[in-house]
This record gives sequence, structure tokens and C-alpha cells, in this order.
Amino acid sequence: MHKVIIIDDEPLARQLIRALLQPHAGFEVLAECADGFDGFKAIQEHSPDLVFLDVQMPKLNGFEMLELLEDKPSVIFTTAFDEYAMKAFQANAIDYLLKPIAKERFDKAIQKWTGMAATEQKKNVDTLQAGIVYEGYQHRIVVKDNGLIRIIPAGDIEFVEANDDYIKIATKDGSYLKKSTLSQVEQSLNPQHFIRVHRSYIIPVSQLVRIEPYEKESHLALLQCGAKIPVSKSGMAKLKATLGW
Amino acid sequence: MALIYKHLRWLLPLLAIIIWCLEAGYLHYYEGLGIDIALLDSSVNMLVLALTIWGMLLVVNAYPTRVGATLYALLIGSFFAIAAGFITWVTLKFIFRNQDHSYTDWLAYSMPIRYFSDWLICGWIATYSAIVKEAETIEKKFLKQNDLTNLHREAELYKLRQQLQPHFLYNSLNSISALTMIEPAKAQDMIGKLSDFLRTSVKRDGQERILLDEELQYIEAYLSIESVRFGDRLHIVYEKNYQPQTEIPPFILQPVMENAIKFGLYGKIGQVEIKVFIRQQDNMLYISVTNPYDKDNQPTRGTGFGLEGIKRRLYLLFSRTDLLELSKTDTTFTTTLSIPQTNA
Repeated sequence: MHKVIIIDDEPLARQLIRALLQPHAGFEVLAECADGFDGFKAIQEHSPDLVFLDVQMPKLNGFEMLELLEDKPSVIFTTAFDEYAMKAFQANAIDYLLKPIAKERFDKAIQKWTGMAATEQKKNVDTLQAGIVYEGYQHRIVVKDNGLIRIIPAGDIEFVEANDDYIKIATKDGSYLKKSTLSQVEQSLNPQHFIRVHRSYIIPVSQLVRIEPYEKESHLALLQCGAKIPVSKSGMAKLKATLGW
Repeated sequence: MALIYKHLRWLLPLLAIIIWCLEAGYLHYYEGLGIDIALLDSSVNMLVLALTIWGMLLVVNAYPTRVGATLYALLIGSFFAIAAGFITWVTLKFIFRNQDHSYTDWLAYSMPIRYFSDWLICGWIATYSAIVKEAETIEKKFLKQNDLTNLHREAELYKLRQQLQPHFLYNSLNSISALTMIEPAKAQDMIGKLSDFLRTSVKRDGQERILLDEELQYIEAYLSIESVRFGDRLHIVYEKNYQPQTEIPPFILQPVMENAIKFGLYGKIGQVEIKVFIRQQDNMLYISVTNPYDKDNQPTRGTGFGLEGIKRRLYLLFSRTDLLELSKTDTTFTTTLSIPQTNA
């Protein structure tokens, strides 16, 4: 039996997938979820073989949910979103179904999945890249904090620091670790508001109080939270370009 | 040319000094005045003229006029030229009251040419600044007109998007697809609702003002489709208190409702209640829409028109910036529209 989870915020959309799945033998729907939070919990609990995932949902969207999962399931996206956005991740996803979902198209996707080797099924979409194409720069970062999911609005970020395989996101309520790279974060945040001032640091422009000269060719940025962040030569050039000095 | 404009405030005094020197030189060498008299005479002349021009520019810039700009400027210029000439004459007469008659005689003799040159200078400067000012007004008008055209185009685009509503339409069709398998009777009902909605969208094309009742019906059709899609999560509470023939401009209330749905329904889970209060007071129609929202979870993707678009549209329609008010608590978001009722 293949274990299936359906995640979509519209009840009828979930029922449609259930109904379309009916004729296919060997599939069992373990859970239906209406938002990313529930989806996240259900996937961790059941570790399904296949997930039907909507993109636009309350609380956590489909991409954010996937990003949080360490052991990512194989996913078929279902969305009404324009084809151009879908193109961005069709190369990586198992398959995607555009709503309204046609029966033949659905059957094809299932056949494609069953025909894949187990390792191939696990191949996943580059969620970050897809997220940027889907909704532009992110205005929040989702992290796991002692088993809880925390959503950090971009405006609350004081700075982001690289920390081996992790990044540390400092906010006024404390700092959070996330398994990611600084380059990924840099790509996902709006470069008008967030600047990578150093190999290991990204700061929001709004946090900047002043910049002091430090050693030869480098500076220190003083932030509103009191932190002093090193600014490299190229970081200084980016700051100048963004702030229009 | 741009360089000259940029340094105008330095160039003008410089020009004044040069003319002052020339005048003093002319008076000394050609009119045969003593160097001290020549200097004093030209200083007074220059000073009075400078002050007059300064005052005149204040007047030209302070008082807008309906008379043609150049005519108005010429009148003002003439008036100030006469004043300048007169003041120069009185001042010089006073300063040289102990001199012999040859100077005062010469002064009286030179007055016409002084009046004439003052008039030329004042007239030229007043006309020039009036023309510059008028050009600015025209440019402003042009920009506003441009903005209007842009907004019109945006509204057109929005309307088009609205008629097609791809995202909304695809999701509704997906729901219908599900219903055909589960509850065929409900599917038919939903198709009816969707058709009603689309029909009204097409019909509304190109209307300047629409009946509030019609707009509400249209929104009702839209909401009933959303209720089918999202189960019974959505509840709308109305409180209506207005005259039956009340009209509003199209594409004002609808985007506000969509916003409320977007934040209230797409962004949250569980039951969602949206309140719509409509009341009329004096010549103003107030519509306020309150929806719950989750402040940690702002929905993605604007419709492109958004609240900023509504605000601009209201400004262009009524020339007022205070017609859209937003307020929020920790859990609710309220949008209040004030729509002036001209024919009420």
C-alpha cells in the first residue's frame, strides 16, 4: 500500500483528489490537511510515500512546509497558478497538476510516479527557487525552534549570521538556527532591504545606525540592536549602491 | 543652459554689480559727473531696482491670477517700474538736496530714460517669471492627467483580470469538477452561480457609476462561490442603512471585499466572519468592512490593484485623500470607505 497525504485548503479540492485516486489500486489516503502546519505534522507522523500539495495555503505555504521537512517526501503539486510559475519547478518536481485537474492528466501523474524508482521518487523540487518565482522575495523566514514552527517576519530580523552548516537569525526575541546557507537567504530576501555586508553576515538596511571605519579597508556597522557587524570592502560598495551615497 | 539656471542666484547679483559699475562709469565719463556723485547715483539706482524686483517677484508668485499670465505680469511690472523710478528720484533729490542746481536739473532731465529702463527691466523679469510659473502649473496639470490616464489603464486591466479572474475561475472549476463526482446537484447549482457572476462582470463594463444594490449582488455572487469552495467557513454579516437609489463608482468596494477575503479566508483556518456596515450620513456614504486576520501570516501575492490603488482612484474621482481609512487591532482589520454622494 502506498501511503498518501492530501494537503489543500479547499475541502472540495481534497475530495476531488481522493475521488480521482479511487480507481488506482494500492493507494491509501492516511490524512487530509487544510494548511501547512497540519501538513507538516501529518508528514512527520505518517512519513507518506506520496503527497499531493497545494501551494497557496494559510499559515505555511507549500514551499515553506517542504523547506522545514528534513526527510522530504515525494510531492505532486496541485495549483491553479499560472503556467509560467509552474515552469520554474516542473524540472524538479515529480509532477504538477494544474487546477481544474483533468482525470487523464491525474492518471498520467500517478503512472509516472509508480514507474519511478524509489530513489528517483525522492528527488525534490528546489523549494527556495520555486518560492521566489512563485511569490517574489520572501517577507518571512520559517524556522523550527525546539520542535515548534516559528514564523519570523522579515521586518523582525536584526541580522543573519553564517554558522557552519547553519545560519543564525537574530531577532529582538532571541536568535534561531536554521539549516541553510547565507547565499540562499540572501537570494530569498529583497536586496533593497537586506544586504550581505560580509561573507558571514546579512543585515537589514533599516537596522543600520552608523558605519565606523575599522581596520584597513574594512568597516564596522553599528545596528539598532547594539550589535557591531563587520563590513567588508565589497559589502561597503553594496551598501553605498543601495543607499545611494 | 542648465548650468546657468543652476547658478542663477549667484549670477543675478553678479549681473547687478556689473551693471552698477557700467552705470557709474557711464555717468562719470559720458555725463561728466564727479566720480563720487556718479557712484552714489548708480548705487541708489541699483539698490532701489533690486529691492523693487525682489518685491515684485514676491507679488507675482504670491497671487495667482485668472488674467492671462503675460498681461498680468506686464501690469505688475509697469507698476513696480513707476514705483522704482519715483523712489529713485525722491531718494536722490533728498541725498543731493545741498548740491547745486546743475545736478537736480540733470536728474529731472534724466528721469524719463530712468523710468523707461526700469520699466524694461521690471517688465521683462515679471513676464519671464510669470511664464515660468505658468509652465510649472501646466506641467503639474499634465502630470496629474498622466496619472489619471495611467490609473484608467490600470483600472481597465483590473477590470479585464476581474472578468476573467483566472485564479478564482480555475479553483471554482476544480470545485465543480469535484462536485460532479460527489454531489452532481450541487455542481449544477455552483455552475449557475459562476455563470451569474461572469454575466454580471461582462455587463458592468464601461459604467461610470453603478447602483450599490447591484454591486452588493455581484459581491454576493462572488461570495457564495467562495462559500462553496471553502465549505461553510465563511460568514458575512451585513448592516445596511442607505437609500435605495444610492450609487457608487465601480471597482471600489469590490477590491476592498477581495482584500478582506484574501486576508480573512485564505490567510486563516477555521470559521471566518466578515462584517459589512453601510450607512449614509448627510451627503456621505460610509462602508466599512471588517475581517479577521492573522498578523503572523500575511497572505502572499497582491492583486496588483490593492488598497493603494483604491486610494488613488478615490483621490482622482473626488480630489480627496481622506476617503479610505484603515485600522487594525490584533485580530481584526477594518477598511472604511467614505463616498461623497453628489446627487443626494
